[in-house]
Amino acid sequence: MMERTSKTDPLAESRYGSLLGPADTERVAQLFAKHQQDIYQSTDHMFAVLMTLQWIGGLVAAYWIAPKTWVGTTSQTHVHVWAALFLGGAISSLPIFLAITRPGRASTRYTVAVGQMLMGALLIHLTGGRIETHFHVFGSLAFLSFYRDWRVLVPATLVVVADHVLRGVFWPQSVYGVMAASEWRWLEHAGWVLFEDTFLLIAIKRSVSEMWNISERTVESDKLNKELEGYVIQRTGQLAAANRELESEEAERRLAEHALRDSEARYRLLFESNPFPMWVYDLETLKFLAVNEAVVRRYGYSSEELLNMTIKDIRPAEDVPALMEKIAKGSTEPSESEAWRHQKKDGTIIDVEITAYPLSFAGRHAELVLASDITERKRAEEALHRSEEHLRQALKMEAVGKLAGGVAHDFNNLLTAINGHSEMALRRLTPNNSLFRHIEEIKKAGDRAAALTRQLLAFSRKQILQPEILDLNHIVVELNRMLQRLIGEDIDLLMSLKPDIGKVQADPNQLEQVLMNLAVNARDAMPKGGKLMIETSNVYLTETVAGLHVSVPNGNYVMLAVSDSGCGMNEQTRAHIFEPFFTTKEVGKGTGLGLATVYGIVKQSGGTLSVYSEVDHGTTFKMYLPVIEGDVIEKKIDTGELEILRGAETVLVVEDEEVVREMATEILRESGYLVIDAKDANQALSMAAQFDGKIHLMLTDVVMPQMSGRDLADKLKPLRPEMKVLYMSGYTDDAIVHHGVLDQGTAFIGKPFSIEQLTRKMREILDAPVAA
Amino acid sequence: MEPILRQDLRSARPLSGRARVVLCLAGLMWFGLVGVGLWALWGYKNTPGVAAASPHQWPASSQIRPTEHRSTLVMLAHPHCPCTRASLGQLASIMAHSQGRLNAFVLFIKRAGAAPDWEQTDLRQKATAIPGVEVIYDDDGHEARLFNAATSGQVVLYGPNGQLLFSGGITSARGHFGDNAGENSIISFVNQGNSDLTETSVFGCPLFDPQSECRTSIDDGKNQ
Repeated sequence: MMERTSKTDPLAESRYGSLLGPADTERVAQLFAKHQQDIYQSTDHMFAVLMTLQWIGGLVAAYWIAPKTWVGTTSQTHVHVWAALFLGGAISSLPIFLAITRPGRASTRYTVAVGQMLMGALLIHLTGGRIETHFHVFGSLAFLSFYRDWRVLVPATLVVVADHVLRGVFWPQSVYGVMAASEWRWLEHAGWVLFEDTFLLIAIKRSVSEMWNISERTVESDKLNKELEGYVIQRTGQLAAANRELESEEAERRLAEHALRDSEARYRLLFESNPFPMWVYDLETLKFLAVNEAVVRRYGYSSEELLNMTIKDIRPAEDVPALMEKIAKGSTEPSESEAWRHQKKDGTIIDVEITAYPLSFAGRHAELVLASDITERKRAEEALHRSEEHLRQALKMEAVGKLAGGVAHDFNNLLTAINGHSEMALRRLTPNNSLFRHIEEIKKAGDRAAALTRQLLAFSRKQILQPEILDLNHIVVELNRMLQRLIGEDIDLLMSLKPDIGKVQADPNQLEQVLMNLAVNARDAMPKGGKLMIETSNVYLTETVAGLHVSVPNGNYVMLAVSDSGCGMNEQTRAHIFEPFFTTKEVGKGTGLGLATVYGIVKQSGGTLSVYSEVDHGTTFKMYLPVIEGDVIEKKIDTGELEILRGAETVLVVEDEEVVREMATEILRESGYLVIDAKDANQALSMAAQFDGKIHLMLTDVVMPQMSGRDLADKLKPLRPEMKVLYMSGYTDDAIVHHGVLDQGTAFIGKPFSIEQLTRKMREILDAPVAA
Repeated sequence: MEPILRQDLRSARPLSGRARVVLCLAGLMWFGLVGVGLWALWGYKNTPGVAAASPHQWPASSQIRPTEHRSTLVMLAHPHCPCTRASLGQLASIMAHSQGRLNAFVLFIKRAGAAPDWEQTDLRQKATAIPGVEVIYDDDGHEARLFNAATSGQVVLYGPNGQLLFSGGITSARGHFGDNAGENSIISFVNQGNSDLTETSVFGCPLFDPQSECRTSIDDGKNQ
């Protein structure tokens, strides 16, 4: 049966905890009841075991104390043994059964209490009423108090009382030791039991009170635990939320870090892999703080070396002051691109374009620098500049050449007449004649005018060259004496001629002109004397040669160098020395055509020219002519007196310029030739057709109004196949020359010519064997 | 907080009314059965043996000689009777209270034809251990017969003049230790010279077989 352990329990009420509210009372009562029920059940189980052991113990005691009873000499099992077995079993059976099957119930407890006390009575009997066994009664009461239910003591005590009352009535001696006892004698024995009951009741009350307190503490603890659990859940939730927030922040931070690392990696890649040299340097110490691979590649230093260097270390020493000056000015703004010169580890100077950006690097005031190597670009720009300059020069020369050519044509015709007539007049006059001197002056003026005209044609490259394969050393040696006279005694003429130089193809007369012009130029640069050195050697030129004004094809060249120890030139002067009419000489002392003529001849001869000059140290001109395979035609340069060679052959003279035609006709007739003259090609064709005799040679102008001399010769060729042709002209055109060079096998005499030159040329052609 | 369910407070389902009645009846039956058993046991234990009609004067044919000037106590005992252990215990108490004014003999029946050492039991040793007690084997119950004893634990007390003072048992029940009337009477006789009680019931095993000569002799003694 369920025990009533309601909240009306006085013990519960008295021990009602101040920390608990009314709502907790029922909970306390429930806990208390549960605890009590647990104790009842556990005590029931304890008695189930205890009573079993008691039964067995009683049986053993009975058998040990009085196994048999005797009658004389016969014996049988003692009644006590049977009593222990059966009566003991009977007493124990119901309590044990209930304790096992119905633990915790009051009926069980009461049955146990009765059974336990009856078992005590049996044991006392079985042990002969020994006083020691009586302690079983007190022990049993103590055990029963384990129930913490004072009510179980009642039946137990009643059993004891009943035992004593009944035995006192029926067998007083067995219980009191007297034959007759007072009817209240049982109280003496029961009093001890009640005495113990008193203490047990007190103990049970305290125990129950403690149980109630424990229940209250448990409820309080549960309540606190619940509150704590709620707090823990709340805090856990807060912590979880905070943790999620932290995780979110951590994720964001990781993403940011990842993005930052990616960004840094990208920018590092941009920096490290940038093909342009980039570095960061400290604006205070000027030390490199970071360099990329391009710097290592371009400058030849390792990263470690660079990081121990300053930006001054990659500058040529002469540029460092400018660098320091710029840094001293300072700037916090990105700078415009600036061109600087840098020096690589191997000493090579490169031109770079620098763009700088100030920044803070690792806490340092620094500058990020991007360097672009513009060496090639600058070289190309310079080359372009030179090309443009050369183009401009070429256009200028072309214009001048056209002008000079046009002027020279007429000039040469006039000079041919002037010089020819002057020469003829001088031949007919004696020096004593009063006219001789005047005519001689006219002749000299005419010669100077002719020379000037040749120079005009030369620098404008309109002159007609008659190239030959020749040895430059031979030319130089042949001119040695003349050059010596030309430069004077204050200047030492030194020669350093390589004996095995290659052959070149050029007009020897023009080369002589070149040498003489350079010698005169050197002489004028050494007014107080000095040394003039002429050198020849073989060289191999690449396309680009320092100091050359234009590029030339790769190949073997013969170099002719003319050096002086004169005053030299500055860069500005040197840039213009090949321009016509440019001179540093006083007015009247130079025409400004000397070096222009030299340049024109050299270029017209397929060569190139360079000049190196240092102020106060001298100047060196180097002429390069391409080497050509072939044999040198030995030709004696005749510098002796001229003579007139005569002839009797028939000559057709065709010249549209009347003064020239008449002068040539007169020279030839006075030299014995039969002359037929025509004023133009048509007339010449007509006369050639009408003339019955053989015409041995036709002397014809090249440039004529209706038909050129070449076309005329071609037309007369079928008619007069044996007729030789000598062309005369004051400047080139495409009739008989290509690029200024006379066609192979073409006889030519330039205007103005002298009587001797013409008659000598006539004999050379007429005496030459007729080509097959 | 873990809730406490109602079933936690109950060990089993409530009994139905019939079951309750059955249980009550069973309890009563059990109580009654046990009560009957205990009652029977109590009856057995309080049922005395055959009391002796001891001679009023010390038997002259007895081989035991009473001591002059002192009372002489003779206990007749069965060497195997478990009830006699209590009698010996009480004898020891009497001897302790007599303070040397009592001669005591314990005569263990020694049956002819019995197994060797049949009489050598712990009771003899216990009796021997009591100060002032002389243990004697009573061959074939000769002395017991002289004193008309039939139950183990029978005690006779003779005064210095050989006159019977007390005859009976000195336990309150079978094999029951503790104060008893016989013991108190003997102590009174020994120490004070008189006592109101001269006979008590004897609780112990019969000394002789039922159809033995002993029984006859006892009957004869009564008749005398």
